[in-house]
Formats: sequence, structure tokens, C-alpha cells
Amino acid sequence: MTITCEDRERIFQDGTAEEWAALETHAAKCAACEEEIRAWKALSAAAVELREYREDRALWAKIETSLQQQEAQRSKPGFWGELSLWGAVSLGWRTALASALVLALTVSGIYVIRHGNTNKAGAGPERLLKNSALAEVERTERDYMKAIDQLAAEAQPELNSPATPLMASYKEKLVVLDSAIDELRMETGRNPSNAHLRYQLLAMYQEKQETLQEVLETKR
Amino acid sequence: MGTVGLALQWEDTISAAEGEGGRRVEPSGIAAGENRPKSALPEDAALAAGCMAGDLSAYERLYRLQGARMKNLARNLLGSPTDAEDAVQDTFLKIQRGIKSFRGQSAFVTWTFRILVNTCYDLRRRRVRRKEHSHETEDEMLPRQEPRAPGAHPSLRMALERALETLTQHQRDVFLLYEVEGFRHGEIAAMLEISETASKNTLFQAKKNLRGMLAPPRSAEAGGL
Repeated sequence: MTITCEDRERIFQDGTAEEWAALETHAAKCAACEEEIRAWKALSAAAVELREYREDRALWAKIETSLQQQEAQRSKPGFWGELSLWGAVSLGWRTALASALVLALTVSGIYVIRHGNTNKAGAGPERLLKNSALAEVERTERDYMKAIDQLAAEAQPELNSPATPLMASYKEKLVVLDSAIDELRMETGRNPSNAHLRYQLLAMYQEKQETLQEVLETKR
Repeated sequence: MGTVGLALQWEDTISAAEGEGGRRVEPSGIAAGENRPKSALPEDAALAAGCMAGDLSAYERLYRLQGARMKNLARNLLGSPTDAEDAVQDTFLKIQRGIKSFRGQSAFVTWTFRILVNTCYDLRRRRVRRKEHSHETEDEMLPRQEPRAPGAHPSLRMALERALETLTQHQRDVFLLYEVEGFRHGEIAAMLEISETASKNTLFQAKKNLRGMLAPPRSAEAGGL
């Protein structure tokens, strides 16, 4: 195999074993290539200086504790899990508890019907949005979404074919955010006056906006 | 590209290079297994199965086999041993949460490093956000390489660390994964979600830039380096 100085960079980049051997043979008679090969190898040797492997048992102790905590948290029964305990209660007690629950619901229903009109304006004002305020919120939300859609359109080419891992990671994050936004939108659709849900949705939109801005800044 | 005052003492470097790392310049097919920490462990599948079954001792084994390498990579990516520890700890928690989604498309260890790299990216992003909110200057937010245990060539290491800071983030990451941590291009491709060719090209550009920055000054060159 005949190798010249012009082949050197290509071989550095992606040369086969035979090409490397041929380059080294060539370098024995070419000072420039010999120096380049030497410098190229020196970089690999220098990189080893950044390798500092030391066992750290203290870190493992921390990790172990957090893994155990996470596992305990995950294995805790949630609401539906708690309901499974219901099966352990005897039939008599179950009937009694269910009747008590029905009674409590009836009494509260009657109370709400009787006092509902007088208390309407003050019923959880911080949680429930009035109709006019709701319309205003929805209008602003639509404008905000439109602006974010424009940002998304600008960032789309970069996100469609991410050129760097950072861009790929932005893409993944945006997918997660979009799915969270969809879920929250469904929730707010079911319960449009819930201000708490609206705040959560707004926070998601803000996060999406910031992420898209970061994408566009990275692009620049 | 200028040398920005980072010139290596090539004479010292070369002697070390030929002794240890020289072979790694060759394509991975030749140098395979000589200087690289083994990532495709024979027990990879057993380790994955153990973690999937929730066996804490499997996590401990993973830590014993890869913990030091994980921490080293995180430290080089983030520049701080404290952040590196947080990243490794977060990674283990994410592995535990996401182990059910591991389908074996790559080696288990490669998958865990992919999580680590993404965790480091998240930490970096948070740092940038902090910068925006706290109005710190660009310089204040640069990852600072905190002191390490003295190595065989401290000046060489410092020069390389400073030179690495001037590379693009992508070039630095590929260089660290390939040259420092010893991963193969196929593994890096899986971790960074790029092609193997892109990994090779990026490494080449990184080394070319480093070569430019760490080249000896002309006067030294004339002196026979």
C-alpha cells in the first residue's frame, strides 16, 4: 500500500489497521509525518492524565441510602393501593362505613344547596375563577400559545434533526413538556375554573418557552 | 488557531506518550482492549437483570465496576467533584426508576453512561439558568477544574484541561469519552445519539484543534522539538 503525506489526516480520522501501518512506514522516511504522528499520539497519552479512578465508598453509601429511600417510596401503596385494604375489612363494617359515607354526602349536598347561593361569590375565590376572568385567562392563554407556536416553528429545523447531543436532549425535554401540557390542558378542559391547574399550565408553557429560547440561542 | 499560551512540553510528553498511550491513536480495532477500560462486560446482562429485579447488590456491583469511571467522566464534564457526585447519585436513581424501560438495544453499561451524560447536561443547563437569574458573568459560570491529586504530569494535565475548555462542548464530550474513558465510537454513538461516523469526525476535529492549541511555539520548534 502506498501512502503519502496527503493521506495522513484521513488515516488519523478513520484509517484501517493496514493504512496505519503503511503511514508509520512512510513516516520513517518523512520527518513531517513522523512529527504529526508523534503529536497525535501525545494527545492520547495526555488524555490519560485526566483519568483518575478512585474507589469512593462514601459515595456508594449515599447512593445506597437514596436507592433504598426511592424504592420504599415507590413500594408505598398509593390511593388505589390503599383501597385494596378495603378487602380486609369485614362485610358488616364495610356496609356500615358505606352507609356513613352516603349519609355524610347527603348532608353536605343539602347544606350546599341551601347555602350555595349566598356563599357563591366567596367560595374559594383564590381557587375558582369567575366567568369573565376565565374568558380573559383563556384569551391570554391562546395568545401566549400562539407566540410559543411561532417560537417552536423557528426552532423546528434544529429539533427535527438534532446535530448535537444537547439539541437531542432539548428535543426530548420538549416532548416531555408537550405531553405534560396536553395532560394539563385535558384537566383544565374538565375543570376550567381551577386556578391551580391554570398556574401549573402556565408554568409548563413558561418552561417550554425558555427551552425553545435556549434552542434558538444555541442555534445562533 | 493560536496556541493561546498552552504549549506543551513536547519532549516530556512524547516520552510518556510512547510508553503508554501511543497505541490508542490507532483505530479501535487494533488497540481494542489494550488501554481501554472494559465496558462490554461479560456480566453486562446479569447486571441488567439484577438491577431489573431490584436487587441492591446488583447496583452495588455496577457501582464497584463503573462508579469510579462514572465519577471521573462527570467530573471532567462538569468540572467539579461535588457536582460529579451529585450526577452519579442522580444517575443511579434514574437507573432504578427507568430500568424497566431498558430493552437491551445497547450494552447495559452504555445505557447507564447515556443516563449519566444526560444528567450532566441537565446540571449544565441548570447552571446556565442560574447564571441568567443571578447575572453572574460568563467567566464566573465556567466550570472550574478543582484541584486533583497530583498525577505524573501535572503541567501537561493543566494545559490539556485549559485547552479542552476552548473546544465546543460536543468535541470536548467526545474527546473525554473516547480518549479519557476509553469508550469505542459505537458506544459513544449510542450514548450521544449520533452516528459512529459523526463520533469519529468529532474526535478528529477535537484532536486537530487541541493539536493546534498545544503545539509548541515556533521558536521551540526551531530549537528542534
